[in-house]
Amino acid sequence: MAVSPHDGRGRVAQDDAGAHLPAQGDVVEPLACGRDAATVWDHAEAGTLDAHERECPHCGAAVADARGLEAMVSRLAAQPLVPPPTVVDRVVGAVLAELRPRDLLVLDSPYGPAALDATAAAAVLRGVVDAMDGMRARSCRISRPAGDAGRPVPPAEVSMTVTARFGIELASATARVRQMVLAAGEQALGVPVTRVDIEVVDVFDLPQPSSPAGREGR
Amino acid sequence: MTGPRTTFHVGDGVVARVAAEAAAGVPGVVALRTDLAGTLLGLAGAVLGTTRAPVVAARVDGTQAEVSIDVVTRLGFNCRDLARAVQREVSAAVAQYTGLETLVRVTVVDVLLDGAAPQRAASTQSPQVPPPGAR
Repeated sequence: MAVSPHDGRGRVAQDDAGAHLPAQGDVVEPLACGRDAATVWDHAEAGTLDAHERECPHCGAAVADARGLEAMVSRLAAQPLVPPPTVVDRVVGAVLAELRPRDLLVLDSPYGPAALDATAAAAVLRGVVDAMDGMRARSCRISRPAGDAGRPVPPAEVSMTVTARFGIELASATARVRQMVLAAGEQALGVPVTRVDIEVVDVFDLPQPSSPAGREGR
Repeated sequence: MTGPRTTFHVGDGVVARVAAEAAAGVPGVVALRTDLAGTLLGLAGAVLGTTRAPVVAARVDGTQAEVSIDVVTRLGFNCRDLARAVQREVSAAVAQYTGLETLVRVTVVDVLLDGAAPQRAASTQSPQVPPPGAR
């Protein structure tokens, strides 16, 4: 008689403690609708959202939080911890670009200042000369003098050294290179070229070692 | 004055981002290049999954904006025409988006040679450096 109410009280007290303690420890602040955000997250994870959680805007926001975090975490977790393959290229390119004093060629534009990196332009000219039969470009320099304000910028000047295959007539070879450089300047770069200095510094594909190893041409 | 006075200012970052988007969409633009700090920020952003680093330098001054863009292109696109196209597109995009008048400074910093063969510039048939034995 005296024991069972005591037991009952004790059990009730324990139940109270069991109901309240986690509530105070886990849930600092419930959602505006009174739900526990952690429970909503658990339900969202398990896919067991009840009718209220699907309808309620507060619970919906919590579910969106859970989804967003899940997406972010799983994406980061799935990413291998190696840098992208181009990382070295990009850093090296940036460092070189920073260090290299940049020569620029003016590009004519009615819309504002525009320029082309002279090194890149020279590489283009080298490339098109390399593509010619019997010719190889060795070095190439292109420069365009800065014009006075209000006056059109004068055209660019190119000087390059080439090597030619042995047996090619150098006069026509240099004429071809000249034409190629003028055309490439206009069509590929958009830089008018007035002057092309071509120096043939070597020949390749010698038939025998006793042939002359270098000639000058213009 | 009948209502509260409202000022409206467009930040540099907005212009930079709009300009970068517009420039990247121009045909022939392979990449936008930035300085060392921008590259490192971009790499950090790529690893961390954010896209915070601007690749375009922009400055807003009153109703004027100034944008500097470094682009990389590919052989086969005329650099001058490309620069003009970038200037047109970028200033149109910035004007439409922010209403600012924009001076666009374009620098073609690199021309990629591999891949696309020269379209009209080179009329020869050999692809690049002919092999030593080729005739």
